Amino acid sequence: MRPDPDRLLEVAAIHLMTKTGPAVDSAYEQSSLMVLALMLSGLREEHERAAARRIEENRALREIFAEAQAVVEDDELGGRLVRAAGGDDRDFAISALERTNCELRGLLIELHAYVEELTSPESRELESLIWRELVASTERRKLAMGVF
Amino acid sequence: MSSLDSRLAEYIAHRLPGADDVRVEGLDRIFGGASRETYRFVLCYRENGAAIRRPLILRRDPPGSLIETERAVEFGAYRAFHGTEVPVPEALWLEEEAHWLDYPFFIMEQLTGLESNPQQIIAPPYAQHAEKFARQKWTILGVISKADPQVLGLDRVMPAVAAQDCWRRELDYWESQVDEDELCPQPVIRAAIRWLRRNPPPPPAEVRVVHADYRTGNFLYDEDGRIHGILDWELAHLGDPLEDLAWSLNPLWRWAGDERAGGLVPNDQAIRYWEQSSGMRADPAALHWWAIFSCVKGQAIWLSGAKEFSDGENQDIILGLTGWLMGNSQDRAVLDHLGYLS
Repeated sequence: MRPDPDRLLEVAAIHLMTKTGPAVDSAYEQSSLMVLALMLSGLREEHERAAARRIEENRALREIFAEAQAVVEDDELGGRLVRAAGGDDRDFAISALERTNCELRGLLIELHAYVEELTSPESRELESLIWRELVASTERRKLAMGVF
Repeated sequence: MSSLDSRLAEYIAHRLPGADDVRVEGLDRIFGGASRETYRFVLCYRENGAAIRRPLILRRDPPGSLIETERAVEFGAYRAFHGTEVPVPEALWLEEEAHWLDYPFFIMEQLTGLESNPQQIIAPPYAQHAEKFARQKWTILGVISKADPQVLGLDRVMPAVAAQDCWRRELDYWESQVDEDELCPQPVIRAAIRWLRRNPPPPPAEVRVVHADYRTGNFLYDEDGRIHGILDWELAHLGDPLEDLAWSLNPLWRWAGDERAGGLVPNDQAIRYWEQSSGMRADPAALHWWAIFSCVKGQAIWLSGAKEFSDGENQDIILGLTGWLMGNSQDRAVLDHLGYLS
């Protein structure tokens, strides 16, 4: 696909900021266009990594679920972890990857809450692993224009 | 004259029976204000032969917004603090009937020639007054924190809460907002909520008025470093004063891109100003709890905005941006407070 979507978004953002925005009378609409331009700039970043960050995260979550099987004694939760750990991303459409990501993040919440109640050294290790993944998840989503 | 102009003029004429030739000029929507649509305009009319022009603000409920808020509470807060050490515009009329302008609204004084943009306060000519702004900002917050809600009459518009229940009521409410509005599970915020429930804070010495959105961006300031108006009281309620202090220090308001709270001064300096003004001590452990709470609340607000935008209930572009941009930063703020970012 040429020109690259990245280039199209860049040009669109610049056009909004330098041409369309200043030509609009309403201060409200002008500000809206500036924000829109900012969003297009963010979309450039997101477009490039959208599939990669979801695939990477889904894989990381499945690895945690695989590790968790040695710690989780609850059969029902354990069963779901086994099934999730055995899954794989075959449909690389962003919507499909996102749907799977949401399912896996939901299961991570359950696992995290469960592990917090345990006292063994293995459970603390698993909890540390979960926290490291949560930090990594925010690194994957960081935007250059992000405030923190 | 647009429909909104004429309908607004009609409403004001109804509220000012002694006025003739009531007109609305220069009606212009102000960007931001995602909880309510905000418009500036000039009210023109004749009274006893004199021509009067008065700049005013219209705050109208939108079809959907970042947060569901009580306009009567916001209006009541403006009324209660007007004329006190807490600078606020004068609130004029509250209208709960939707037939005038399609949605409920209120009208208040417009403080003109001032700035509120958080990006401007960190740039010339305002940035040189950062410390002066900060001293006023947290001193005014201290005044709000020590004000007696009964003396202000705000106990009549804000639901009562026992000191020991302040934290639980707020956390229950904002967790319910996350439950309702999350479009995808939120593991960081859910972990924060569990932490907050396991480690409740001590009750405040006194239940006080909490502004609940006290931050750089929600006050009007001038080029000489003076603050003239505290705005956006839509979330105000009775509660623990530390809730306000913690919210004002939320890392998401570090507009200057460094460690300065609200883009103005380091946290400890802001806390010192607040303590001197309020006469209270900010217990570090309790403030830590409220700091993490402020991230949960912030995330709930971003999630609500994202849902409104995604559902098409409110297509204000700012909702799209905040949901997208602020959510991840808010998660990172939680991780930082809990000691996992280093």
